[in-house]
Amino acid sequence: MLAGDGRRNPFLPHLVRIAAARDETHDVRTLRLTFLDPGAARAFEWEAGQFGEFSVFGAGESVFTLANAPTRAGYIECTFRAIGKVTAAIRGLSVGQVLGFRGPYGNHFPVAEWRGRDLLFVGGGIGMAALRAPLQSVLDNRQDFGKVVVLNGARSVADLVYRDEMKDWEQTDRVRVVRAVDPGGETPDWDGEVGLIPSVFERLQLKPDSRVVIVCGPPVMLHYMFRSLERMGYAPEQVVTTLENKMKCGLGLCGRCNIGRVFVCRDGPVFTWAEMQTLPKDF
Amino acid sequence: MARTAWRLTQGELLEWLEHLLREGRRIVAPVEEDGLRLFRAVHAATQVCLAPGKTRWSPKEFLFPRTETLFTYSADGGEVRLADAVGPETEQVLFGVRPCDAAGLCRLDAVFHGETADGLYARRRELTTVASLACDEAEPECFCTAVGGSPAGVDGSDLQLVAVGEGWIVRPLTRKGEALTASLRGRAPVPAPEDWAQAEERARRVAERIRQRPIAREWAAVLEASFGLPLWEALGRRCLGCSICTYVCPSCSCFDVQDSGNAWCGERCRSWDSCTFALFTRHASGHDPRPTQAARYRQRVLHKFAYFPLANDGQTMCVGCGRCVALCPVGMNVHESVQRVAAAARESVDARG
Repeated sequence: MLAGDGRRNPFLPHLVRIAAARDETHDVRTLRLTFLDPGAARAFEWEAGQFGEFSVFGAGESVFTLANAPTRAGYIECTFRAIGKVTAAIRGLSVGQVLGFRGPYGNHFPVAEWRGRDLLFVGGGIGMAALRAPLQSVLDNRQDFGKVVVLNGARSVADLVYRDEMKDWEQTDRVRVVRAVDPGGETPDWDGEVGLIPSVFERLQLKPDSRVVIVCGPPVMLHYMFRSLERMGYAPEQVVTTLENKMKCGLGLCGRCNIGRVFVCRDGPVFTWAEMQTLPKDF
Repeated sequence: MARTAWRLTQGELLEWLEHLLREGRRIVAPVEEDGLRLFRAVHAATQVCLAPGKTRWSPKEFLFPRTETLFTYSADGGEVRLADAVGPETEQVLFGVRPCDAAGLCRLDAVFHGETADGLYARRRELTTVASLACDEAEPECFCTAVGGSPAGVDGSDLQLVAVGEGWIVRPLTRKGEALTASLRGRAPVPAPEDWAQAEERARRVAERIRQRPIAREWAAVLEASFGLPLWEALGRRCLGCSICTYVCPSCSCFDVQDSGNAWCGERCRSWDSCTFALFTRHASGHDPRPTQAARYRQRVLHKFAYFPLANDGQTMCVGCGRCVALCPVGMNVHESVQRVAAAARESVDARG
């Protein structure tokens, strides 16, 4: 406690222990984490789409989306790709070891507004991690929503995340899962789609109607997805994405994720395609 | 109770400062050090330099340190222990702060006292009293009057010192300012009408010498719309990305968070950072939303003159101290950039009808 009026140090993390770890691909891992402090565990609430700052003491902090839905509480999960200094350090930890965690931060997916509508989730590579929490929210309240299509794409078969979970997803009522890999990324026994995600999406011929499209992937994929969505007649208001700018504080202070008038960490990370059209091309 | 003011001779001003030091306050004031004027904690009133001119750095580091510990950690046999940062305990007086720099502290307040109150900053702010010093000269780079400031501006000041004749007017402006001048009450005379007249005349003359064209509040929207103008490429091409502009800026507030230590013990710190550095926004994947120096320069200018004002009642994130203009190694001039971009953006709007 620093300020006299009770304002706390917002950078002080909770301690969380690795309860389980699962390798999704050769460089992507999902961790299940539990709070060391039972009080913090009870008090922790979040919404699908919010994120946290995960840290290894001595290496630093990284931003990951909270990959599990609030309908699956009691722990938090993250799926990350070991690509830099901090993520390599996190990958170096084993079950039972301790991380720092602070959050949740940012806005969330308006899952409640999707009730009664058909949904399409489109994830590219590690982008699928950001869609897992809202997808779980939908699957755990299946009767509230219309038909669900999940398009999970990756560069190659080896890079496809959540391979085990996809089997569970497609066994759920009125859920179709489409697996896709980039041309050249297929193996001889591959029975999924081959093509860049926007092309595979167009081949699915899903009519816009009142469908909500939830999309997350690398910037170049988003760029071409929006063009495909436009060609297919989707309105900017029915497409929602989550941006991942570089962030340090998660509190709207450090300035790093600033795009025009918004801070991705505070005003996002969830934006509709319509909202993105009002932002300068700075993401 | 109406706030009054006190008339002090140079000797009485020094006595008052000595009194404040004896009371145990930390006084941070401009001193001459190795040929530079810098804000430093002083131990004697005679160290304080209130001559015309500004310090090389603004005093922002005394509220928002260049590097500060957020917490320390230690790990032993799998048990991790965290220790909260130890906040400052001592009251500090920022003494002899130019009005532009005092206004800069208000900009920091807007960031750190915003929706997410930052306890580390808040505690330092509570313990800080700002004694500003009205300007008696304008330097070539000054442009405070172009961004709504004034050589005798009182934004961010708890009290203000104004040079008159051989002495000073000391004018409390807030309760903190009154507390600091409590020892003068009943002992120092109040300023005579001609002292005030002289102070006003001085402020008017200094303001007149700052002949920089105004940057109107209404330009923020025009500037925001300038994002795609090719002029940005031409303007930003010269920028080296050295970020001296950010480091000397009284209002720049971006920071980095890094760990320093090993697996057994260490600390997490935050330190000043700059949107003009090439690594500022680069993702681990290699993707960079602002991959060119021109894009980074545009971000710095538009955040100060468009994005921030549009979200903060029109107030620019620039106070016109001009340090970035004076110290840029390649002679870039933010005031001139804004003028040129605003003119080009208006032309482009007119052309489109």
